[in-house]
Amino acid sequence: MKMNAIGLLFGIAFGGVLAASNLHEYDTIHFMLRLDEFDVFWFMGSAIAVSLPLLWLLERRGVATPLGGELVLSRSRPERHHLRGGALFGVGWAIAGTCPAPALVMVSSGALLGLVAIPGIFLGLRLHERRQSGPHVGDGEHRPMTGARV
Amino acid sequence: MFDVLPDRLPWWIGGPILGLLIVGMFVVSNQPLGASGAYVQTAGLLRRRSGVAVWRVWYFVGMFLGGLIVTQVLRSGAEFRSGYDALREVLPLWAAVPVVFGGATLLGYGAALAGGCTSGHGMCGTAQRSPASVAVTVTFMATAIATTFVLRLLTGGAL
Repeated sequence: MKMNAIGLLFGIAFGGVLAASNLHEYDTIHFMLRLDEFDVFWFMGSAIAVSLPLLWLLERRGVATPLGGELVLSRSRPERHHLRGGALFGVGWAIAGTCPAPALVMVSSGALLGLVAIPGIFLGLRLHERRQSGPHVGDGEHRPMTGARV
Repeated sequence: MFDVLPDRLPWWIGGPILGLLIVGMFVVSNQPLGASGAYVQTAGLLRRRSGVAVWRVWYFVGMFLGGLIVTQVLRSGAEFRSGYDALREVLPLWAAVPVVFGGATLLGYGAALAGGCTSGHGMCGTAQRSPASVAVTVTFMATAIATTFVLRLLTGGAL
C-alpha cells in the first residue's frame, strides 16, 4: 500500500519535471536530435551528474531503504539484445519524437497525437512479448521487491 | 490556470531535480524509475495477469497527473491540439497519425528488446554505472540522430 503512494508521488514529480522542461513536445525532442538545441542533452547529463555519484556513495555505505531492503545497484554486461533493442528504440524515438514517459505528459498537455503514440508503444511492447516469454528487464526497470514490505 | 511556471524550466534546474528524484526513489524503495516497465505492468493489470507490480501502475498514472498539474494548473492551461508542430508543417494529419503510430510501435518493441527506454537505461541505468545501460544509451542516441538526419534529407530539409 505504501509503495502505491510512493509510486504515485514519484510519478507526479517525474511527469511534472518532464512537462516543465517541455520534453513532451515533439519539437523539443526533434530539435535536440537535429543537434540544433542541446538543452535536453544537458538536462539528461546534469540529472546523471547528480544521481550517479550520490548512488555510488549510498551503495558503498550499504544504506538500508525503508521499503526495499538494502540499496543495491545492478550492472549487467551488454548483450546482443541490448544493442539491437537500443538501435530500434532510437529509430522509433526519432520518428515518433517521444518516448514512454513524455508520451503520457503529451496527452495531459492536450496534444492529442499522444493518444496515437501511447497505443503504439503498448503494441510494440506486446509484439516483443509474443515472440518471447516476456520483455527483457534492464537495469533501470522493475526488479523483484526482495525483503520488501509492500 | 495560475500561470506561475515559465514556458520552459531551464535544464540546470530540471535536470538536477530529476537526478534527485532518481536517487530519492532508490533511497526509499531500492527501485529504479524506468517508464517502459510501468507500461509493461499497466498492460499486465489490464490483461489481469498475476504478479503485477501495482505500484508501477500508480507510477504510470502519476506521470500523467504530473503533466496535467504542470501544463493545466501551474501554467496558463493548454488547449486541445494535435501537437507535433514541426511534423505537422510537413505532413497532413492523416499522414502524421500512421507515422507517429509506427514510430511508437518501433520504439516500444525496441524498449522491450533492450529492457528499457530513455528513463530506464538512459537515466536510471547509467546512473547505476551499468555497462549494458550505457551501451543501450549510446546506441539509441546514435540511431536517433542518424534517423533524424535521414528524415531531414527525405523532406528536403523541411523537417
